[in-house]
Amino acid sequence: MAVSTTGPLLIVEDDGLIRMDLADTLQDAGYAVLEAANADEAWAILLETDVSALITDIDMPGSMDGLELARRVCDRWPDCQIIVISGRYNPEASTLPPDAIFLTKPVGETELFKALEARGLAV
Amino acid sequence: MQFPPSGCATIFQGFDWATSPLGPQSGWPPELKTLTSVMLGSLQPMLIVWGPEQTTLYNDGYAAMCGNRHPAAFGGSFQSLWHDIWDQVEPIISAAYAGQGTSMDDIEFTMHRNGYPEETHFAFSYTPVRDPWGSVLGMFCACTETTSEVRARRVQDDLKERFMQVFELSQGGIAMLVGKDHVFEYANEEYYSMIGVGREIIGKTVAEAVPEVIRQGFIGILDGVFATGDPFVAKNLPVKLNRGPEGEEQNRLIDLVYQPTRSAEGCITGILVQARDVTVLRAEEKHRELLAYELGHRLKNQLAMVQAIASQTLRYAPDMQTARTNLSDRIAVLSRSHDAIIEGGTGHSRVGDLVGQMTAIHDNPDHPRIFVAGPNMTVGSRPALSLSLILHELATNAVKYGALSRPDGSVTLTWRVGGPYRDRFKLDWKETGGPRVAKPEKEGTGSRLIRAGLNGTAECQLSINYEADGLRFSISADLAGFQKEH
Repeated sequence: MAVSTTGPLLIVEDDGLIRMDLADTLQDAGYAVLEAANADEAWAILLETDVSALITDIDMPGSMDGLELARRVCDRWPDCQIIVISGRYNPEASTLPPDAIFLTKPVGETELFKALEARGLAV
Repeated sequence: MQFPPSGCATIFQGFDWATSPLGPQSGWPPELKTLTSVMLGSLQPMLIVWGPEQTTLYNDGYAAMCGNRHPAAFGGSFQSLWHDIWDQVEPIISAAYAGQGTSMDDIEFTMHRNGYPEETHFAFSYTPVRDPWGSVLGMFCACTETTSEVRARRVQDDLKERFMQVFELSQGGIAMLVGKDHVFEYANEEYYSMIGVGREIIGKTVAEAVPEVIRQGFIGILDGVFATGDPFVAKNLPVKLNRGPEGEEQNRLIDLVYQPTRSAEGCITGILVQARDVTVLRAEEKHRELLAYELGHRLKNQLAMVQAIASQTLRYAPDMQTARTNLSDRIAVLSRSHDAIIEGGTGHSRVGDLVGQMTAIHDNPDHPRIFVAGPNMTVGSRPALSLSLILHELATNAVKYGALSRPDGSVTLTWRVGGPYRDRFKLDWKETGGPRVAKPEKEGTGSRLIRAGLNGTAECQLSINYEADGLRFSISADLAGFQKEH
């Protein structure tokens, strides 16, 4: 297994099965992965740990949704790369933080790795 | 007297007047002689009723109206001619004898003058005939046929009536405005229901009848159409109308057409209004779009779930054959769970139905070993799919390695609403009578899928305990998320 030169990726997804599989996929590829089931959990992790990229769903229970989380992360940690994944929304570019990548659920592995490479997060 | 040869003139000349109440012609007053001469010489239908006995004389034109009563009626009494409608005829003939003329615009007769029964119309004028001293001697009547005018008018009326019927049946509101002030001349029922049932508008200007549209600029548009003759067409036009039950304002969306109407000379005389309230229609369209969107969203989520299950199954499978079987079984579980969601109607399935699907596959009804108890409570579609999958994995594991792998082993499955605030969904799976179990060294796909928890719940606690007499599994999740339709 390759060892990542980047910091950990934070996966925020309320569907446990999808989150688990996304984490497996990224770990198998050599990334270090942190998991959160909603934006509030994610925020708590972000305050403790340096994260290289946020990979977040949009529609989740809690005090904020994935779009709000992405905007806040972009404001506070401008170096953190952001990938937004959702089956519900096809957000206007204006609602996404600048440079954020939007992927439609379900996401193919190839597509996901390409997006990470595009943001300089190749393993 | 000599007359052109015709039926009535011949009868007149051959008539034995001496035996009639009029007496021999030689004794007739000059008024009667003159009128008889005029009458028999005229092509216009004419009638003379003379003397106290009301002796009746007429020409060929009038004879046609008498039908088969002619020629017997000639020279007889007026009452015997029209005995069947005497109650209508008597007042006007009596009025004429009393010195008062009467005219009637439209009397209908069925005539056979063209060889077939034919509806005809005549205008009558009963005129008293006096002697030089003013006494009424009789009555003279000239008739004018109005059949063709009546027919033309009827065609026009029919056409108008048909238009009105079309207007009344129209699904849109229709109103006709006349003049530069836009006075309502007509409005169909749909138009009334659009502006508010019970409003009185006919004979009023639009500004008087529907004053709330003034400040919304509609009078200006009407003025423009009336002045230029250019029609106005608009769709999904927002309008405020005082159409509520108490005359309160409501926001509506209408499709609207103002079309100028012109006289035969081409002058603009008014405006035909066609308006359709599309508020409900547009709302339904929006709702349908939303449903289609929602359907697409669910499909994407389910594909994402299938993707994760396939990936997990392949990732941890010992061999391809196992992977194929497990994947196919898991997708079948999702499919059945989806049936329950659809049958739930409003998008809700029930826990009992999902449990029933599991026992139907993994238990034998003649020798049941999975004992279930719990309320048939609703479950949202996302947690329903997870729950089905978890039950399937538990049962599969029990059949392969757990209590159901032994003939005497059994499972007790119970669920309920629990917690101090009764806001938790709780489920327990207990296996007994099986082989000794211990936590496996390597976690398999089945327990990973179970560990993924109930999708859609905000907070889901799971516990798996490998106790000596069998596996214990329990779920506790927030009830709101468990039952919410996502």
